[in-house]
Amino acid sequence: MIEVKNVTKTFEGFHALDDISLTIPNGSVYGLVGPNGAGKTTLIKHLQGIYRQDKGSIEVDGAPIWENPAVKSRLVSIPDDLYYNSQTTIEDMMHFYKGIYPKFSKERFDKLQNVFEIDPHKQVRKLSKGMQKQVWFWITLSCMPEYLILDEPVDGLDPMMRRNVWSLVLNDVSEHGLTVMVSSHNLRELEDVCDNVGIMDHGKMVLERSLEQLQDNIVKLQLVFPDWITEIPNDIEYMHAEKIGRVVTLIIRKNAEEATAMVQKYDPLFVDAIPLTLEEIFIYELGGDKNAVKEFIL
Amino acid sequence: MITLNYRDSAPIYAQIKENLRHQIISGILTPGDKLPSVRELATQLSINPNTIQRAYNELELEGFIISVLGKGNYVSSDFSRDPKKIEKLKDTLKKTVNELRFMGVSDEELEKIIKTGESQNDRS
Repeated sequence: MIEVKNVTKTFEGFHALDDISLTIPNGSVYGLVGPNGAGKTTLIKHLQGIYRQDKGSIEVDGAPIWENPAVKSRLVSIPDDLYYNSQTTIEDMMHFYKGIYPKFSKERFDKLQNVFEIDPHKQVRKLSKGMQKQVWFWITLSCMPEYLILDEPVDGLDPMMRRNVWSLVLNDVSEHGLTVMVSSHNLRELEDVCDNVGIMDHGKMVLERSLEQLQDNIVKLQLVFPDWITEIPNDIEYMHAEKIGRVVTLIIRKNAEEATAMVQKYDPLFVDAIPLTLEEIFIYELGGDKNAVKEFIL
Repeated sequence: MITLNYRDSAPIYAQIKENLRHQIISGILTPGDKLPSVRELATQLSINPNTIQRAYNELELEGFIISVLGKGNYVSSDFSRDPKKIEKLKDTLKKTVNELRFMGVSDEELEKIIKTGESQNDRS
């Protein structure tokens, strides 16, 4: 379990992380989402033990990560910007990682070559961006990590390779109880692979839930009120409302059945409860209207 | 086997559940058949294993499958008659009947559909 408790990090007076707390249960895939500049990468750099927090604690199975090689040897990450020496070949990298991570499996490395189909004698710098990402997955998964931290991991990967990579990761999750933290803007994809989601904004955690709770506690209700109701009745609680013609769309913080039951007494001509996608939840939780696409004319 | 529709706003677990339910009701999967393991399905579909587990749990709760500890999930040999579900389907049927009447389908014709379980058009 990775536990972040009340962590604050300030860069020259700017609160990049502001008293943030989160928990990543073992064996789960935790999706970290948030607008640009929310502090996701800063948080991830703390989890990797690269940054040291000003306040608070970051622990992996109860042990602090900062300057702790025993913990770090079980945690591997793929950063957003990949770093390598200019002459390095994939094989050199493999030896380098093998020297650092005690559980590195050469056997797995050889097996995975069938998935990635890249010549290990090639220099990393001569590969395309997407292929470099593949190399990192190849080597990272060969380290047999217990914790895997991914910052925008599938950026640059083609659709086939995305699926391959997620299949490999999820196989480790169900077979070895691998714990994954993944930051991404691809909410569609996170919805498939995650079971826990944390939404960050301005260095704080806006909301942290299991995907199940998230999907079951918010719903979009489309309904048509009878003629005598022209305004949305006061006792209907909603997060967001929209009216197009006679059709009213309400975003309600309830499950589908409760929400439908709530409006029944007004005898609506028509009610339909539609589940929200993670993308919609993200937009509404981060302030719906305020975050609506700004209308401007160039 | 199971195909997911990413344009459908229904959550993934619900899609998987509906897919398997349909396969059981239509007889593609027969009682006693073993379902793929959570890990197999998670890897095959690139979906979180907990999402698959949720679909299986709900199918078990509704009596469509039986989970045998340490062995896997099997299609149940007797689907329980979930009274809630029956009420819901009856409700849907009433609505459909009203709609058909509104469109001028005669009661005679409706009775025929109920008795045979299929409409005349289907048979021809």
